[in-house]
Amino acid sequence: MSALHIRREAAQNALNTLLKQPLATLMTIFALAIVLALPVGLFAALNNLQQLLGQWRDQAQISLFIHQDATEQDIQQLQKQLQGSTGVVNVRYVGKEAALKTFEKNAGMTAAIKILGENPLPASFIVELNPLSESPAALQAQVQKWARQPGVASAQSDLHWVARLQAILALGKRAVWILAIMLAVGAILVMGNTIRLHIAQRRDEIDIASLVGATRAFIRRPFLYQGLIQGAIAGILAWIIIAITIAILQGPVDRLATLYGTRFQLLGLTGLEGLILIIISAILGWLGSRLAVGQHLDHTFS
Amino acid sequence: MIEFINVTKHYPGRHHVLRELNLKLPTGQMALLTGPSGAGKSTLLKLLLRLEDVSHGTLMVNGVDVSTLKKRHIPAYRRRIGVVFQDHKLLMDRDVFNNVALTLQVSGVSGKQIQSRVRAALEKVGLGNRIHNLPATLSGGEQQRVGIARAIVHTPEILLADEPTGNLDGSLSTEILDLFRDFHQHGTTVLVATHDQSQVERLGLPVFHLEQGMLQNSKEKSA
Repeated sequence: MSALHIRREAAQNALNTLLKQPLATLMTIFALAIVLALPVGLFAALNNLQQLLGQWRDQAQISLFIHQDATEQDIQQLQKQLQGSTGVVNVRYVGKEAALKTFEKNAGMTAAIKILGENPLPASFIVELNPLSESPAALQAQVQKWARQPGVASAQSDLHWVARLQAILALGKRAVWILAIMLAVGAILVMGNTIRLHIAQRRDEIDIASLVGATRAFIRRPFLYQGLIQGAIAGILAWIIIAITIAILQGPVDRLATLYGTRFQLLGLTGLEGLILIIISAILGWLGSRLAVGQHLDHTFS
Repeated sequence: MIEFINVTKHYPGRHHVLRELNLKLPTGQMALLTGPSGAGKSTLLKLLLRLEDVSHGTLMVNGVDVSTLKKRHIPAYRRRIGVVFQDHKLLMDRDVFNNVALTLQVSGVSGKQIQSRVRAALEKVGLGNRIHNLPATLSGGEQQRVGIARAIVHTPEILLADEPTGNLDGSLSTEILDLFRDFHQHGTTVLVATHDQSQVERLGLPVFHLEQGMLQNSKEKSA
């Protein structure tokens, strides 16, 4: 009973049923596609936001002040360690003289420093971090670890805003997940309802097939394929909707980025993500059908 | 062999439809099931098809205890039986070929075999030239013959018919019942429920007569 030709006939049967009512089929597919495009689009928006925030590395700077007695070797070792650490985007060494020049330029205290007779400012490393590379606690631990390295006098960082940023992103992700689950249930119900209508239309066929010895699997199969086919097509359509939305938004994003003197390329779904969307969508369609036809057979199949 | 051993069927809150029924139809025989409306003829056939469960007693069909058959084994059991209904139960949106082919499709028969076996079944019932007609374009007698072709296309061990001539006139009834007799002569066990007394007398077959769910003077004649 599980021969390939039976499955092929069931698939053909499912396709014929869908093609017999093209308008109803298209409406179901569009409804599913929109239901799917919404959470997936929001996930894509979050990804883009993360990508954008990851570029704000100058906002996550840490200053490591070098001890007056630190040797050249200490400084070189420290630089190597910093460059090899997770989440470090850039490491810049600011020598005593460079620090003094910057101080004089920014603070306008040339006279006061001249009175001291010597340069009181320490050399330092300016470390630029990707604020989203690690949790705030992990970033803080890393900074504390650097502060204990030989040659480091002290470390200065403001990672509170990183914690806030990550908390906001986590909240956004959680909200999108909840929405995605709710809409997935919605997708299952849409498909279940559609299949329920198909079952009602084919009740005679189901009854007669049952009388002549059809198994539950035989009766169920064309309906499951209907759900699978519609779900997969809805997944493809949802992918297209997201791609079109991103293409439409890219122009205004380009103009906005130019005003800030930067460039930003919106990210859509990768090939793998698109494939996963289609698979999930097909599974949701299948699941909706399975629930509807299972419920029907439980009540009527004997 | 069909054997009812002290079979009772009742529905909750209703009277007994069948009471302590004992009936035996040996393999390869044909018999008629008679009785007035409400006597329990259709219920008896439903029990045989396992569309209903036996309330008490044992129902054996070709060595299978139908009364205790597990749900998952019912489809395979039904594929050993052919059944014809008074109202034909045809799919009106499918042509004659596809109506008959359904029985083979559920059994997983391949497309090529379906083609040849459906054609052969339709030739047997005299509808070889109506293969692509929709049921609505056929007469009542022709529709019933499509139902019979669907019931015999898989060469069942047992053929059941519930008032197959109920909606047909005299000459068509004779044609249809003669078809059943032909299948019986090829070794199929046949049980036909009918209330057509003239056909009962004409055919001269063993008769199981039901009255109020009980078997009355059954007539044992050789077919």
